[in-house]
Amino acid sequence: MIWFVRVLGICLFLVAWEFAARGVPGSVLIAGPSEIAEHIQSEFALYTRAAFATSVNAGLGFVFGNLAAIVLAVIMIVVPKSARLLSAFALLLFCIPLIASGPILRVLFGPGEGPQITLAALAVYYTTLLALLVGLRAVSQNWTDFMAVYGRHPLSTLRYVRARASLPYLFVGLQISAPASFLGAMIGEFTGAERGLGVLTLRAMRGLETEATWALAIISASIAMMAYALLGLLGRRLVGYTPVILLSAPQGQPTQNLWMRVAEMAFIVGAVLAIWQISMDVSGLNRFFAKRPGDVFVFLAESENLATVLSALSETLGSALPGYLAGLGLGAALAAALILAPSLGQVALPVAVALRAVPIITTAPLLVLAFGRGIVGTTVVVAVMIFFPTLVACGQGLRQTPGQIVELFRSYGASKWQTLIKAQLPAMLPAFFASARMAVPAALLAVTTVEWLATGQGLGMLMAMTASTSNYNMLWSCVAVIALAASAIYACVAMIERRILRVYASEQLS
Amino acid sequence: MVGPEIHFENVKKRFDSVTAVEAFSATFKAGQTTALVGPSGCGKSTVLRLIAGLTGPDEGTVRLGSEVPAQVARRGALAVAFQDPSLLPWRTVRSNIALGAELARKPSDHVDTLIELVGLGGFADHRPAELSGGMRQRAAIARSLVSQPEILLLDEPFGAVDAITRRRLNTDLPPLWRDRGTTVALVTHSVEEAVLLSDRVLVLSDRPASVLADIATAPGVPRDSAYRASDTFRELSDRIFEALETGAVG
Ligand SMILES: Nc1ncnc2c1ncn2[C@@H]1O[C@H](COP(=O)(O)OP(=O)(O)O)[C@@H](O)[C@H]1O
Ligand SMILES: [Mg+2]
Repeated sequence: MIWFVRVLGICLFLVAWEFAARGVPGSVLIAGPSEIAEHIQSEFALYTRAAFATSVNAGLGFVFGNLAAIVLAVIMIVVPKSARLLSAFALLLFCIPLIASGPILRVLFGPGEGPQITLAALAVYYTTLLALLVGLRAVSQNWTDFMAVYGRHPLSTLRYVRARASLPYLFVGLQISAPASFLGAMIGEFTGAERGLGVLTLRAMRGLETEATWALAIISASIAMMAYALLGLLGRRLVGYTPVILLSAPQGQPTQNLWMRVAEMAFIVGAVLAIWQISMDVSGLNRFFAKRPGDVFVFLAESENLATVLSALSETLGSALPGYLAGLGLGAALAAALILAPSLGQVALPVAVALRAVPIITTAPLLVLAFGRGIVGTTVVVAVMIFFPTLVACGQGLRQTPGQIVELFRSYGASKWQTLIKAQLPAMLPAFFASARMAVPAALLAVTTVEWLATGQGLGMLMAMTASTSNYNMLWSCVAVIALAASAIYACVAMIERRILRVYASEQLS
Repeated sequence: MVGPEIHFENVKKRFDSVTAVEAFSATFKAGQTTALVGPSGCGKSTVLRLIAGLTGPDEGTVRLGSEVPAQVARRGALAVAFQDPSLLPWRTVRSNIALGAELARKPSDHVDTLIELVGLGGFADHRPAELSGGMRQRAAIARSLVSQPEILLLDEPFGAVDAITRRRLNTDLPPLWRDRGTTVALVTHSVEEAVLLSDRVLVLSDRPASVLADIATAPGVPRDSAYRASDTFRELSDRIFEALETGAVG
């Protein structure tokens, strides 16, 4: 019965879509399903080859990125002292938008598949790392005690207990990775690959080819969703259940003294600069395009360059902010509304979980087509990117309000509305702020992507231009600046989070 | 081979604001079974955790023969059955029990005999989630016995086991450790069980735990139904109850 309703719904949707497209003849905005189907058929061979190329790169990146995440997680568990530092590095790397690392990788790798695969790996390692760490740490003391009684220590616990206990969590990470690796591979293709869906998307966007843009969006979204669904199925088959987890970097201890924090930060910055310098020196790459920290410093010391980069940065941040706020606000608001109307929530939340998996790259061109190349289009892309993860996380947060508390409120005759405000919203705050932190890099990725593809503004455009001007100092400076800005904003959001959670949800801070 | 003696010398253990164990001196004789009884929350589990080396004393020393707990653990000569069975949910009963031998690096040839002995014969290939609480506890007991430890720590091992099975286990299991000369520390809430299974009973005071009375049960008397029905048995039980009550009042 439910299947029948779903199929009927899809059919109705397609018919409505077709009519909308026919109703606006010659529109550059909407292509009807029949036109898209025809177009795909006529270009079938081309699209198959492109889809294959992108899938292979995404697949390789998926494997490498997840392997890296597993190795990193294991090191952090076996050598707990390394955890703070490693997670700071992992977070910093995660804060660099892929669209910024893309051109750098292209410069370093030259032509070929390297950047696509690396970007796909970069797109997946962080979520898997977070999910896996939750799983590896979610081991009861009884089990670690049990291992200790036999004189067996961390490595045995890892082997006998943690490895298996964390499998369901690993699958959560892998599932989210699947569409993300697709996104990474496509961004890699934007930076000047020979083939792949990203190359065709770029061409379709530039040529204002409506049908091709739709066709590519649908193809790439379907492949990503299929991989998502497949891994979900595999996970349920192999480990039986899917745990609900908040995918967000844990907050550091807030009580640590200020000087320690400053010292730690200085150490991390110094280490990153050193790694940058040393890796360039060791790999022996040409200094003409493989710039060092010193080059960037000298370049930015010139006030003209600095002014260019900073004005681009402020443009980028300015166009990211409305979408960031709208995405977060709407996501949280809808999550709350769905609690007030639970039957609606049962329908909407699974849809949101599925839509969260659609890589932004596939929908961004369509959204830009629909909403224009101005601030509205940008805002919509950023908001959409953030909206679904926020909705899902806040929805899960709201549902985790202890049942007894809700019942207690009800027993005093409190209305649904009062229960929401007094009991459930505070319970949602940790999920909300976790989303707000994770949304910082996401928003920057979305906005720079739109700038790169369509609006011709901000850091995205500045980086895109260096491909033709060969101004590599500019490219590296842009990446350094955006990484710095992303980390700083992330830290600010984290600080606000601590302040507010300390008041409203002190038991959630451990 | 007879298990080593367990020796507590003036041990103190604090957790934040509560002192769980203080001025605790006691000897658990080599190859004997010593029962610990006392009010709940007095620190019995803490004493077992100190023996297992899961936590260290703040003051004083805990020795197992000439060694410290960690050394015995490393040899695979320690085993415990805690209140919480903590079986691995993805392993079957058989492989959970075999894990005890595997971790202690001992042969696991008598796994199936033990499964029969604890009455889990038909459940060897089931997973813990399919068992009742009492059955899980019995699997945990079997797991603690499979490595033939020199020191065996049992923390209310029969707490969730039904009365009939408990009575049967009380007769069937003790020979396994008695005959091998294992040094056993047994925490139990049942005074009768303490008198039945142990060679000595240490009655502990309310928190912080120290030894109120050290009562030797009938040495050399077979632990059968005649013993259970005897006057000695009743007298011993009464003495323990008395000691517990003085402790509670004082
Ligand atoms: N890890 C711990 N942290 C804090 N307090 C503890 C811990 N373990 C035990 N305690 C406290 O020590 C006291 C004794 O506990 P325990 O040894 O478990 O008692 P028993 O087993 O006799 O019931 C209790 O008050 C308990 O709350
Ligand atoms: Mg206890």
